[in-house]
Amino acid sequence: MFRLPILFIVTGIVSFALYHILSLLVLGTWMLEPMRSPDGWFRVHLLVLDWATMIAMGAVYQLMDVVLQRRIHSVMLGYVQYGTFTLGTMLLLAGFLVSNAALLGIGAALSLLGILLFVYNVGLTMWKAQQWNAVTVSTACALLYLTATAIIGLIMGLNYAFPLWPDMHDRLLAAHIWMGMLGWFGFLITGFSYKMLPMFYLAHGHSARLQTIVIVLLNAGVVVGAEAFLLGGGGGAQAAASAIVLLAFIAYIGVVEEIRKHKHKGSPGRGIWWTVQSTRAFVAFAAALLAAWLIAPEWFRNQPTTLLLGMAYLWGWVSMTILGYLSKIVPFLWWTHKYGPRAGQPNVPVMSAMIPERVVGYGLAAISTGVALTLFGLFAKETTAVAAGGTLLSLASLLYIGLVASVFTR
Amino acid sequence: MVSEQQVRDTLRIVYDPELGVNIVDLGLIYEVAIDENSGAVRIAMTLTTPGCPLHDTIVGGVRRALRDKTDPEKLEVDVVWEPRWTPERMSAEARAQLHF
Repeated sequence: MFRLPILFIVTGIVSFALYHILSLLVLGTWMLEPMRSPDGWFRVHLLVLDWATMIAMGAVYQLMDVVLQRRIHSVMLGYVQYGTFTLGTMLLLAGFLVSNAALLGIGAALSLLGILLFVYNVGLTMWKAQQWNAVTVSTACALLYLTATAIIGLIMGLNYAFPLWPDMHDRLLAAHIWMGMLGWFGFLITGFSYKMLPMFYLAHGHSARLQTIVIVLLNAGVVVGAEAFLLGGGGGAQAAASAIVLLAFIAYIGVVEEIRKHKHKGSPGRGIWWTVQSTRAFVAFAAALLAAWLIAPEWFRNQPTTLLLGMAYLWGWVSMTILGYLSKIVPFLWWTHKYGPRAGQPNVPVMSAMIPERVVGYGLAAISTGVALTLFGLFAKETTAVAAGGTLLSLASLLYIGLVASVFTR
Repeated sequence: MVSEQQVRDTLRIVYDPELGVNIVDLGLIYEVAIDENSGAVRIAMTLTTPGCPLHDTIVGGVRRALRDKTDPEKLEVDVVWEPRWTPERMSAEARAQLHF
């Protein structure tokens, strides 16, 4: 299957480029402005929906073939879903941009429909296959939280247009972000990694026990957190949920190390190397932040802690992981499409010829430096550091995604 | 009549495109059986992982590589999953190529 996944991935790449071009216009300093503004919502949803979720959906359509060894339930429905979701998110973004409630409402409803079609198509495929393992269970959890996130998003939109529960808005927002970030992205990335990392490391004989622990802990953390936010639980409940999620990620690092211990390939590729490093870095950062909060909670009173943690997670882990995996997924899709029919003939290039590994490494190094500098700037409230970090992040990202896109010319 | 060794030598042109190692050195070719009477060739092979996304590509590559050496109508390529492939089946050249 080539066309359906590539449609999502190309759209994601274009959205990623647009996000960074717009960020460059203000040198990344938009991050210093209040996030809860039409501009902030526009940028965040462009990144989260039209970049990260779009790429994730394409990857799911591609990987379901591999994991279940069966085709997706309906390829045609996949195309319909793509159209619905893309149109919906475009209207949603336009609604944010011009602060138009009608556009927001229609866009949110169409986006939700697109998500429901996706969940139905993938969910039915998994149900028919009846193969339940850490990968498929994680994917099922991801689909559940994606649905919940989208429904809450729609409720928030309705609440904004017709203030039915004004007191609930902040709680809904917190639960929406929590389930989307950790439930949807957390489960999808960890789940797919259980399949993809052993492939790229050529790992065999590794134990899958810790994968179950990750699933249990991450579910517990997402549920406890969502409940705490929706029912108005205080900082203690939220900290407990954060601690459970942190334990889940520590267990996930254990999964990665177990895979690496059983590898039979010296290097998995620079992109994959960086996904592993970004996981370690995020967990170290989150652990340090949580420890500091436990020791001196008063110090966090005037700090943008949520923004810092959110940025570290979204940029330092989710985006870095997606970008790392893209350095494998895009060459694989293109090579299979263009050179697969020539396999077995002389002079057929190998996949590594589609993208220069060293440049992948440099690109991700520059992006991670930009992320680190931006986080420092936000923490220290240093506009210069945020501008420098934001500029580096966006420039490096544009060059990197250009490199990935150039695979289609090979 | 093609020999088993000729078949194996020919299949060195078929690569796992992700690993960059040919399928013979990877140890994916389990058996090459040639019927001297009919000229039929049966290849029993495996892949490094069940559900390998390159399943069709590699099997197609095997058929394409042997197109000039065998009668395509009499070529049978069976992908088997037992015994499971393990890294110990790789040749020394494959390990060196993978820097392991």
